[in-house]
Amino acid sequence: MNGWIIFILLILLMLTGMPISIALGLTVLSFLFFMTDLPAELVSQRLFTGLDQFAIMAIPFFILAGTFLTHGGVARRMIRFATALVGHFYGGLAMAGVFACALFAAVSGSSPATVVAIGTILIPAMEKQGYPRKFGVGSIGTAGALGILIPPSIVMVIYSVSTNTSVGKLFIAGIIPGILLAAILMAITWVVASRNNYPRMPRANWKEIWSSFWDAIWGLLLIVVVIGGIYGGVFTPTEAAAVSAVYAFIVAVFVYKDLKLSEVPRVLLDSANTSAMLLYIITNAILFSFLLTSENIPQAMAQWIVDKHLSAWVFLLGVNVLLLIAGNFMEPSSIVLLLAPILFPVAMKLGVDPIHFGIVMTINMEVGLIHPPVGLNLYVASNIAKMGLTETTIAFAPWIVVMVLYLLFITYVPQIATWLPDLIYAR
Amino acid sequence: MRAFNRILDHLEEWLVASFMALATIVIFVSVVHRYTADVPWIWKYTQHLNLTWAQELCIYLFIWMAKFGAAYGVRTGIHVGVDVLVRLLEPGKRRFWITFDLLAGAFFTGVIAGLGTLFVVRMFGTGQVSPDLELPMWIVYLAVPLGSALMCYRFLQVAWRFRRTGELPAHNVAHVDGMQAEGRA
Repeated sequence: MNGWIIFILLILLMLTGMPISIALGLTVLSFLFFMTDLPAELVSQRLFTGLDQFAIMAIPFFILAGTFLTHGGVARRMIRFATALVGHFYGGLAMAGVFACALFAAVSGSSPATVVAIGTILIPAMEKQGYPRKFGVGSIGTAGALGILIPPSIVMVIYSVSTNTSVGKLFIAGIIPGILLAAILMAITWVVASRNNYPRMPRANWKEIWSSFWDAIWGLLLIVVVIGGIYGGVFTPTEAAAVSAVYAFIVAVFVYKDLKLSEVPRVLLDSANTSAMLLYIITNAILFSFLLTSENIPQAMAQWIVDKHLSAWVFLLGVNVLLLIAGNFMEPSSIVLLLAPILFPVAMKLGVDPIHFGIVMTINMEVGLIHPPVGLNLYVASNIAKMGLTETTIAFAPWIVVMVLYLLFITYVPQIATWLPDLIYAR
Repeated sequence: MRAFNRILDHLEEWLVASFMALATIVIFVSVVHRYTADVPWIWKYTQHLNLTWAQELCIYLFIWMAKFGAAYGVRTGIHVGVDVLVRLLEPGKRRFWITFDLLAGAFFTGVIAGLGTLFVVRMFGTGQVSPDLELPMWIVYLAVPLGSALMCYRFLQVAWRFRRTGELPAHNVAHVDGMQAEGRA
């Protein structure tokens, strides 16, 4: 009963269009005032203690690192390297775009940031080479979604915080599905490009490959620092994030010199703005899930589903449908924060692997990012290409189908996600 | 009033950016410090430094950054909601609901500021200190009432401007991370 009141209140408040964080907070507040004897003062304490975890602090650090990288000319050099490698195939520049997105995703934890970094340079360049604009927008916008699947990933940090799973394991688990998805997207690009005879570029000689690799080395090294550092036990994910922020700062300002020292305060402020927004949703969502737990709602739901004798197979299908619907209304962090605490206990009862479940949620979020009405990648891409939203949506449509098929594939072949972490962490 | 707002704006931006920078430096230094243990000639000098408080300081800095940054976010319009329905409304009704949302934000943050003050006062009475830094906890918790009060003020400010000019601060998504700088490249 109480559960229904909570959810109906939350949905009503959200539909008025108020910020999700405020809707969450007001729901908790009114519930505490009218329905329980719990002291309301608890709310203000929880707003503080909810954030009192070192693991959460990886989020602002990764955002800061990402902002430095986007500003600092790392993306441009990764594109040059990728172009040198695959530019001579049909649709070479588009393939290089997908490849560069995958590389940039390995140093950045956010999808829209990846689209901005790669797309701002490549979408106009592809148009100049004679690609249909739709094709460029669709392929780069979709490949940008790799940002949250290939580690590091802000969405995975949020999932791990709200379900108490290991961030390290999730990051490792994202590697194979991420590379596989990048390969699939590149293959599709190649097929479409060779059918339509999209332009190829002259094959780069070894000298160009070597020099572009050497030029991009500082960005590429960061991949080794983050992933190697975390699972080699050199540092925790949060420390890795802080180190990569400092590293990105040094590379952007002193090595590539694409960012002036005087622009650094602006970068700090922009990153703080995004981080604070996320942290504010996180605190209020933690407050909300505390309320759910104290009302025993996730447990009751888990029991209800177990009593229905649903198989894990059907449950996962339901989860995918639910998340895809949620993707129409909210951005990824909010969805994970709201739904992970509710769905996770059920998944555990049905014997779903916690890491696999995290990857499934992440890919769902990727799909949400590329379709309207709230897909951020879509907005970013349409803004870069100066293309209307409807047109952009049409450009994305075939890619959305690909992503949904891939989602189903990963959902029902859990080994793709769990094989590598099991191998590494079994030792 | 205008001068007051300008000072407040600057102070807010300056605090938020500094907390971010400080937290990053603190954690970076503590990681580097840990690994100087492998280099004997440096370790001779660094082993006396005790940096166990770094994590705690980082968390507190980020909590302060988050509370004040959230207030800054109201000013930049970064806190988004589910606006699918509101967008469909006719202008008059939309105006009503947007005002309602802003006032709801002011109401929530105002209540939190009040509750937070009560909590800080109680903390002051207990004399509790933080585990590593031994900072008085009431000072640390001040982030909640101060940040929320500022946020409340920002919501009222934005609502006031919206009623007068019909303008809302809008966070440009394509601007996410410095696309201008890259665009020139």
